[in-house]
Amino acid sequence: MVFLTLSCWIRSRGPDRYWKVQEVLKHARHFRGRKNRCYSLAVRAVRRAFVYATKARKLKKRNMRTLWISRIAAATREHGMKYPALMHNLTKTSVQLNRRVICDLAVTEPRSFLSLAKLARARQQEGFRAALGDGKEPAGVFSRVVLLQ
Amino acid sequence: MTSRGTPSRFLQSVLQNGVGRYVSQLKRICIVFSRKAQSSLGVREFIEEGVVDYAKKNPATVVYVSPQSCRIPKIVAEYLNGNVREEIITSKTAPQISDLLTKLTNQSGLDVIRIRKPFHTDNPSIQGQWHPFTNRPPCIGPIRPQKQEAE
Repeated sequence: MVFLTLSCWIRSRGPDRYWKVQEVLKHARHFRGRKNRCYSLAVRAVRRAFVYATKARKLKKRNMRTLWISRIAAATREHGMKYPALMHNLTKTSVQLNRRVICDLAVTEPRSFLSLAKLARARQQEGFRAALGDGKEPAGVFSRVVLLQ
Repeated sequence: MTSRGTPSRFLQSVLQNGVGRYVSQLKRICIVFSRKAQSSLGVREFIEEGVVDYAKKNPATVVYVSPQSCRIPKIVAEYLNGNVREEIITSKTAPQISDLLTKLTNQSGLDVIRIRKPFHTDNPSIQGQWHPFTNRPPCIGPIRPQKQEAE
């Protein structure tokens, strides 16, 4: 008599479970609690983390822009102007600096930022004179649009 | 791949390389290939023609050529800061391998991970970084919040 059924009950499972599990856990090592150790909890946490990372790429751009704008607004208020006035007058004088650069100037080069604020204020005053005056005075220096050939 | 879960570094050069003399950061190159296999055909061609010229053009890099019986031909590049990079060159043509070698030569040995900013300065501020007293007039007496008329 030969007993064959016993050997049929032995199953060989996949050999790679350890590495497949480690692939997921390596992204969860810096999490808090059991999510960084236990696979079933880690799978869900890692998937959420990746989803948040994908969504955050658009949000980062928005957040950085609002940060720059609030910093520029704070810096202009130190000089007695407001943010919308500054940006509008800078674009009217064809100063094509974006908010990131103006924010960096406000932080690291305060005197250059002061000169930008003065330029914007001068253009603003010229705009007021052109609007409220009678049109007999010539347009101011900063209102001339320079066409670069 | 989250930004906090994966390593990242700031842009830097190795010891301000290039400000004075430029030193190639590649220490040695080991070309591991097989004598007979079909995958090392391009490597063998490159070794017949291009390796000597490459070694003469880069005198600071040591080139080791090691024919072994291996299934996958590789280039193992070691850099001056200790990093080792292995590139697999199965079924690549000789010009592709020489392009790969120029790429490895031009690299510094720093890790190929996310660079946080594409710029770096040692002196970010020329006029002095802003602090709360930059735009305030100096005053004798206790410092009070500024009134609007004073501005």
